[in-house]
Amino acid sequence: MSVTIRPARADDLSAMQACNLQNLPENYTMRYYLYHAMTWPSLSYVAEDAKGRIVGYVLAKMEEDIAPGDEPHGHLTSISVLRSYRRLGLAKKLMLQSQDAMASVYRASYVSLHVRKSNRAALSLYRDSLGFTVQDIEKKYYADGEDAYAMRLSLKQ
Amino acid sequence: MTPTPTKRALPSKESSLFRELLNLYETRQLKKGQKTADQILKKFPEHGETLCMKGLILTHMGKREEGLELVKKGVRLDLTSHIVWHVFGLIQKGEKNYEEALKSYIQALRFDKGVIARSPCAPSIWCERLDDDLLVCQITDAMSLNQENMNILRDAAHLQTQLRLYDGLVDTRFLLLKLRPNLRQNWIGLALAYHLNGNLVEARRVLEQYERSLKNVPEYDPEQSDLLLYHVRILEDMEEFTTALTLLDTKAKSRAIVDRVAQDSGAEAEQAWRTLIHCNPDNTGYYYSFFRSKNIELGAVTDPDRMSTLRLLQDLSLQNPHTNTPKRLELMVVSAEGFRPLANDYLWSGLQKGIPSLFVDMKSLYQDTRKRVIVEELVDGYRQSLEKNCLPDGAPNEIVAESDSDVPTTYLWTLYFLAQHFSHIGQHSRALSLLSSAITHTPTLPELHTLRGRILKRVGDFLGASVAVNEARLLDGQDRFLNTKSAKYKLRAGLIEEANDTFGLFTKKDAVSPGADLEEMQSLLYLTEEGDAHRRQGRLHYALKKYHAVRKIFEEFEDDQFDFHGYSLRKFTINIYLNLLSWEDRLWSHPAYIHCAISASQIYVELFDNPSRRKDVLSTGKELVFDNLDKTISRLSGMSAEEEKKAKKRAKKAQQKQEEQKKAAAAASAASAATTSTTNEDKGLDLTPQKDDDPDGIKLLTSPEPLDRAWKLLSPLLRLSISNLDLWFSVFDVAVRRGKYLQAIRALTRAKVLDANHPDLHVRLLHFRKLYESLPSSLPSPVAVVVSDALETLITREMTLETYNAQYLQQNHLNARAILGAAWGLQILGSPRDEIEGVVFGTLNPQVVLPLKTALDVLSFLKDISSPRANEFRLACEKIFDLSTVFKTPDQLAIMHLQRQGTLLNTPNVDD
Repeated sequence: MSVTIRPARADDLSAMQACNLQNLPENYTMRYYLYHAMTWPSLSYVAEDAKGRIVGYVLAKMEEDIAPGDEPHGHLTSISVLRSYRRLGLAKKLMLQSQDAMASVYRASYVSLHVRKSNRAALSLYRDSLGFTVQDIEKKYYADGEDAYAMRLSLKQ
Repeated sequence: MTPTPTKRALPSKESSLFRELLNLYETRQLKKGQKTADQILKKFPEHGETLCMKGLILTHMGKREEGLELVKKGVRLDLTSHIVWHVFGLIQKGEKNYEEALKSYIQALRFDKGVIARSPCAPSIWCERLDDDLLVCQITDAMSLNQENMNILRDAAHLQTQLRLYDGLVDTRFLLLKLRPNLRQNWIGLALAYHLNGNLVEARRVLEQYERSLKNVPEYDPEQSDLLLYHVRILEDMEEFTTALTLLDTKAKSRAIVDRVAQDSGAEAEQAWRTLIHCNPDNTGYYYSFFRSKNIELGAVTDPDRMSTLRLLQDLSLQNPHTNTPKRLELMVVSAEGFRPLANDYLWSGLQKGIPSLFVDMKSLYQDTRKRVIVEELVDGYRQSLEKNCLPDGAPNEIVAESDSDVPTTYLWTLYFLAQHFSHIGQHSRALSLLSSAITHTPTLPELHTLRGRILKRVGDFLGASVAVNEARLLDGQDRFLNTKSAKYKLRAGLIEEANDTFGLFTKKDAVSPGADLEEMQSLLYLTEEGDAHRRQGRLHYALKKYHAVRKIFEEFEDDQFDFHGYSLRKFTINIYLNLLSWEDRLWSHPAYIHCAISASQIYVELFDNPSRRKDVLSTGKELVFDNLDKTISRLSGMSAEEEKKAKKRAKKAQQKQEEQKKAAAAASAASAATTSTTNEDKGLDLTPQKDDDPDGIKLLTSPEPLDRAWKLLSPLLRLSISNLDLWFSVFDVAVRRGKYLQAIRALTRAKVLDANHPDLHVRLLHFRKLYESLPSSLPSPVAVVVSDALETLITREMTLETYNAQYLQQNHLNARAILGAAWGLQILGSPRDEIEGVVFGTLNPQVVLPLKTALDVLSFLKDISSPRANEFRLACEKIFDLSTVFKTPDQLAIMHLQRQGTLLNTPNVDD
């Protein structure tokens, strides 16, 4: 059976954590996943295969400290898909669902994210297929000293 | 009211000092607080409340032991003060000793005179049933409740939730609402408490009362929306569907419910599901629900519905062109007769896109053998055409028109698909040879190498598998997925050091070791795999260490929920919070925990049965009584002088780093000890992680009570009704050795329900009956009756154990595992070794299907009974499992490993 995209539940968090650890260098303890799920329960999504294994996820939140003059907006904390489930467009599908929820549930006017300068595949996903634009470069954003692009996408219709 | 005890009363000077002390604590001016306390204690060294406050302050300053001493002393000196009990409760909560903390809070409320007075005849408003001691309290002056009491009550509610004491929770929440009805979270808190305690009617009543009190609710308010959805959910649970639907409809129209995804889940209307499919066409569940609303079960479509179902799916596919889901559902619904054209479209498009998961996606269709054959014919047909560099005849037209340059890639993915297909149906050599052609064609596609690794692992060549997956990793060093896979395969092959080096390419550079970072990040995969790898090599102490680390992670997960008992009420995220609670209720049934609990129990049982194993593991140094592949390889490889130097240097560096870190940690703790005595730094009340005083697991290994440790690991699983045979076998193994015969027989009864004929059950039944009959004195009578009745239903007394065993063998003489079970039986019954050997060699009978794992189990059984024929069996297996390496000696393995690495370095062609 093909892969299902659905909202994440509390009982998915441990599998999301495992998926993140397998794919990405930025990892978090369970508390951080719980904090996301318990605060913005409709923003995180998972990709689940026919056997119920979590093969991809998006972990997202609303920005809590909004600068004066800024509008409410969402932020993408982490997204990844197992290599063995690539080319199904899962990352894009996960992102679209999360963005939709940001706009409809929390009336977010835009969504922001960070991406490693060297991560070309992700950069092309965000820029070319989802329409994000680079706002800024944040020097030494990652623990290993790499710079990040700060990107955003307007959610206004 | 009782007068203040004379001991507690202070003269006015000290009394005002004490008030100051409370203020200083509230504002966390710890140093000053300590001084103030000392001032009082100078004159009244036995003043309980002051002692407690000083103890509390010291704990905040990081002097836990000293602080705890003072608190305990203070409690003893003034048993009826609410302050001492509150302080004690806070400390216990910080130590995560939730049960004791709750008891202390209850004492605090009980003695808080002027607020709550003890009144046994008054109507019960706040009851708590702990230790069966029913405490009835009445509010005499509710308005005088201060913030401290509110905090105690709220804390008590959180503890009751954590401990799942829902009766008490209802009472506490009731009281909180009565005292502070203006706080909205108190309303929700009570509704939730009723709900958790199974009283939906009251939960609904409270919610409706609250909703009536609301005025001017803004549109688009996510919190209000979640609350209303919770209300709908309660109505649904009460099966009041019409009311639920009406509420949902009105509130959605008035934009009070904003979460569209949640909105429609209650409604069963076809249109609603259509809308949801349109919003998220990749949610398979929506399709199932859509068809259910039309009385069709997608997983079991019958002939009369088949055509209409397929037509509807085709419509949905046209309406939602960006998803494959309805197409894939068509493949499932269509009969084998109509399968070929649909499968042709689906497969060809998947291969053209190079979708790596295409085979995994198709596999579930293989339950219908006819569909499997069609898939094989189609894809093998593609291969034949593509080999001649032309497109297959039946390829869908619009795709044929695409450029020819795709052909080589499509060819590659076709081979990739076929290799998985043939390996899946047991034709591993054919699969490997297809992969060889693919790798010759394009050596740089990592997927080909990982698949080759997976197939080699399947046939039992773990070393070859690890080399293949490492090849994949080297082709894309930036990819952590390949890195994790490669390290895991190395662990499976016993290359623990190499695996850690590989993991280390992606772990934090400032961590003590790659493993330390992975453990801190709660990687269950790493801990489980490395624990297993150590266990296979006989380093039981390291294995235990990893398995216990897994337990610690689950304890952390369990603790993590604590803060959300308050947080979620404040945030109004009630639905996900309820979901969290039910996840936590089943937390320990996670497969990783079950696996580690069973594995560790098996080790503990082994250590109990054979205490000298401890010495074996430890005597010849920590590492090397058993085969350590890493070491054997370096020994045999005759490391060049340069390499050896490098390795030594690396080891030295690692050691230096470790020492530096130790020094840094010591310096830090010394520094903090120095500063705490002079500053106000608040370290909080939570226990900080202790220094690991058993880094190598030696204490675990040499523990005098291995069975108690095993039981502690198994016990969280007992109430979760888990269908895992090995779990119940472990429960039996531990219980029977602890003399807990009731638990033992219950475990066997559970196992029998799962698989009555299982060989491991057979062995245990023999074991237990033999043991039970030989017990010197009978058990206390109620237990004895239950045990013997249960035993009689499990294994009849009508025949001797010898006959019983012989019969089992006869009935299962073609089942390799059962043959092994009968041989075990003979061993238990004390039969001579040659007879046992005769039986167990029956697994080599050509009529018997001998799986690789069983063959390994037989070999280790022969070693266990010190059979001189063990090597004979090993050699026979080496022939049967010719692709496998598990029956090689460590020396053979090491040589093979080195040769292969050499081969791989010299020739780009990987072939078998």
